[in-house]
Amino acid sequence: MKNPTPLRRVLRGLAVVVASTALLAACAGSAAPAASGTGTGEPVEGGDLTFLIQGYDGGWVSSKSSISSYEGNLWGEITDKLVYADEAGELSPWIAESWEELNGATEFVLNLKEGVTFSDGSPLDAAAVVANLDLWAKGNPDLGIPKVGLFPGSNYDRAEATDSSTVHVYFSSPALGFIPTLGYHGTILLSPETLALPLEEQADLTNQIGSGPFTVKSWEQGDSYVLQKRADYEWGPEALGHTGPAYLDTITYKVIKDTAVRTSTVVSGQADVAFNIEPQEIESLKAQGFGVATPRYLGFTDGFQVNTSIFPTNDVAVRQAIQSGIDRQEILDTVYTEDWTAATSFLQGNVPETGDYSDLLAYDPEASEQLLDDAGWTVGADGYRVKDGQTLEFTLSPNPYVPSTQAEDELIAQQLKTIGIKVNLKVVDVSGYAAIQADKPPLFQTSRSFVDVGTVAGVLTSQNGGEDWWKLGTSDEKLNELSTGIATASDRESRAVLADDLQQYVLEQGYSIPTVQLVQRLYLTNPKLQGVSFNGLAYANFYTAWFSE
Amino acid sequence: MTGRYGRYALLRAAQAVIVILLAYVLTFLVISVLPGDPITNTLRDPQNGLSEDEIQQIVAHYGLDKQAIIQLFLSLGRFVTGDLGFSLQSNLPVAQLLGDSLPSTLALAGTALLLAVVFAVVIAYGAQYLPGRVAPGLLRSVPSLFLSVPNFVIGLVLIELFAFRLHAFTIIDPDSAVATFFAALTLAIPVSAPLAEILIANLDHESRQEYVLVARSRGLTKTRLFARHLVKPSMLPAVAMVALIVGELLGGAVITETIFGRDGIGTLVQKAVTSQDVPVLQAVVSLAAVVFVVVNLAADLVSPLLDPRLQPDRAAARTEPGVVVPA
Repeated sequence: MKNPTPLRRVLRGLAVVVASTALLAACAGSAAPAASGTGTGEPVEGGDLTFLIQGYDGGWVSSKSSISSYEGNLWGEITDKLVYADEAGELSPWIAESWEELNGATEFVLNLKEGVTFSDGSPLDAAAVVANLDLWAKGNPDLGIPKVGLFPGSNYDRAEATDSSTVHVYFSSPALGFIPTLGYHGTILLSPETLALPLEEQADLTNQIGSGPFTVKSWEQGDSYVLQKRADYEWGPEALGHTGPAYLDTITYKVIKDTAVRTSTVVSGQADVAFNIEPQEIESLKAQGFGVATPRYLGFTDGFQVNTSIFPTNDVAVRQAIQSGIDRQEILDTVYTEDWTAATSFLQGNVPETGDYSDLLAYDPEASEQLLDDAGWTVGADGYRVKDGQTLEFTLSPNPYVPSTQAEDELIAQQLKTIGIKVNLKVVDVSGYAAIQADKPPLFQTSRSFVDVGTVAGVLTSQNGGEDWWKLGTSDEKLNELSTGIATASDRESRAVLADDLQQYVLEQGYSIPTVQLVQRLYLTNPKLQGVSFNGLAYANFYTAWFSE
Repeated sequence: MTGRYGRYALLRAAQAVIVILLAYVLTFLVISVLPGDPITNTLRDPQNGLSEDEIQQIVAHYGLDKQAIIQLFLSLGRFVTGDLGFSLQSNLPVAQLLGDSLPSTLALAGTALLLAVVFAVVIAYGAQYLPGRVAPGLLRSVPSLFLSVPNFVIGLVLIELFAFRLHAFTIIDPDSAVATFFAALTLAIPVSAPLAEILIANLDHESRQEYVLVARSRGLTKTRLFARHLVKPSMLPAVAMVALIVGELLGGAVITETIFGRDGIGTLVQKAVTSQDVPVLQAVVSLAAVVFVVVNLAADLVSPLLDPRLQPDRAAARTEPGVVVPA
């Protein structure tokens, strides 16, 4: 192409200026609706809710995809669970009216609510629950369907329907996690007919028959999904204070990939809820009267798991120096808003067993430097520490499942630089991250939601097929004992004592380096939308939602 | 003549089949170089907490543990028998996914192509015939302006203005006529730029030809001269360009569809690439190859009509354009 003439250059510049001015003007001018507050009052029947989400790519084969942060939103409206887990991890009856724990938590009896039906009219009875339990525990490898990851499958023996509303479940060893896991977002009750369908038919959302307050009216994969309320629904969780049919007539899930467009569409009043908005926008959206919910799920916090088998984190001094070399308050102040809270352990604060170990996570760069000095890491000419000719450095890859971790990691790299640790950043996408998870670099971000603290036992060591997050194998005697103790505990009190010990030990050893309490699901809501509650997995319940006039 | 044309057509058809098969194989090879696959990526999500054995069991069910070359031949065998297979991500039939997405993209790309051609002709005509020096000069800079503003900026500005401020359309219903128009506009603006530049350059060239001087001396008005004598020869390179632009439209559709929330081939590609959904990608790339080959063939057939100097046997000697894999 010809060299641009001066006029062309001016025009090009002008184009950019015009475009950006228009954008700025557009952003600044978004008229603020008057804040309507979070008024209470009598729920109003009717209304159609539009929910914007960035993608529904995982498909609709239940235990293959219901774990996804996106699909989980929709599953929660069309299905029920046996147990309801609230934001504090408290369990309450849902389809299981009550339950009993027998023989040191190796056997359980579930008493089901009577008269519950799937949306095709078939009964949600004991036989249906047994079919679901079997699938959660074992999956269906012949169909290519995995088990539900967090379900205690390895010690699951069998489930029997003793009568039409009673299920007896047997485990080969104590399974304290069984009842809480029934409230997990992966353990959704589906019609046995659905579960027996071939894979490609299960992929058709219309064939997914649940017993939830909404049913699928129409859908187009990757585009939009319309749910309508079930008029004869009478079995909502009592904990929500409402058990009858939903107030809303329909919920439409619409895929809008771009975060800015999702946000603006709700701000302009063309939609009611936007899922996952930028944390930086929260303040101004709240000021305009919009609701922003930042529910925390029960589980592990945001932060790093440490590979103790490779350089440089095989040195306990390095791990401890990083632990006290991270200024968590600065992360909260810089990357997040006041809706986020600092980690007090490597478990989220709403997990009942989580203790407050803030003192072990305090920012103390002098202590970090002392630790490194004592361990023989000397500061080199470039400001980074060296030992035996090796520079103290490692590479961090932000967690693509939590986009804000990139800003977090950039800040941590700066903080650790001041104590002489060199941190390189490598940004990867989801598929690249899967490879990193498998490789386990010195520090990697892994988080997970769970309903029962017993889940933690499965990641600590390599015992009993454990995931061995920290690559210790079975080398750490104390951790082996704690892991076995938590996994085999038959009562919650003794397990809580072990969990307390465990958190202290793991943080002291620098096996896990938490940063902040994780908020992975953010909801921007229309000010008129009332009555939205969140469960223990940080999913919104639109079952109880309604629009004020 | 017909015998020669028949051989030519047969040869072109055979070339087309080879191009499509190569596109299919190439897609597979490119994706298989990347680490991971959609099944393992989903299962490895730390949220799932599945053990390595459990993951391997499922991966084996999908045949993803087999050697790449065996997987390739299995999928090639299905492809030649017309079976596009199932998406690894959603487990839905690929043919269904394509069928759902195609109408939306055709509407978008068709409207965009029409708009782009209109823009290009208007700009080129104005640059040639507007009175004075300033206005034509400005118009001649418009293509560079159109090229330098990124597609997504145009899209976001249009959405902010027409959807959020003026409520001309809603992003919730992106397939409505108005929403389709604005999405097409977003796509058409950068696409019209090279077309306009070529038209301007050719009009400049043709209007310096002696026959134009003759025509004007016989008293033809500017408009009639433009319509009857200049457009046809100036269109020739533009027609060849349109064939290339189809590729650009498919590429641009990815961004435009993403911003406007349209569920089309572009978004399908984008999702398939991020999740490494090989069966979907192979099908889309093959489809793109088919479209590309057909459009280029059409361009080759139209060219002789615009310019009698182009003989069919000379056209046959032209080389096949390369396959463009949309990003």
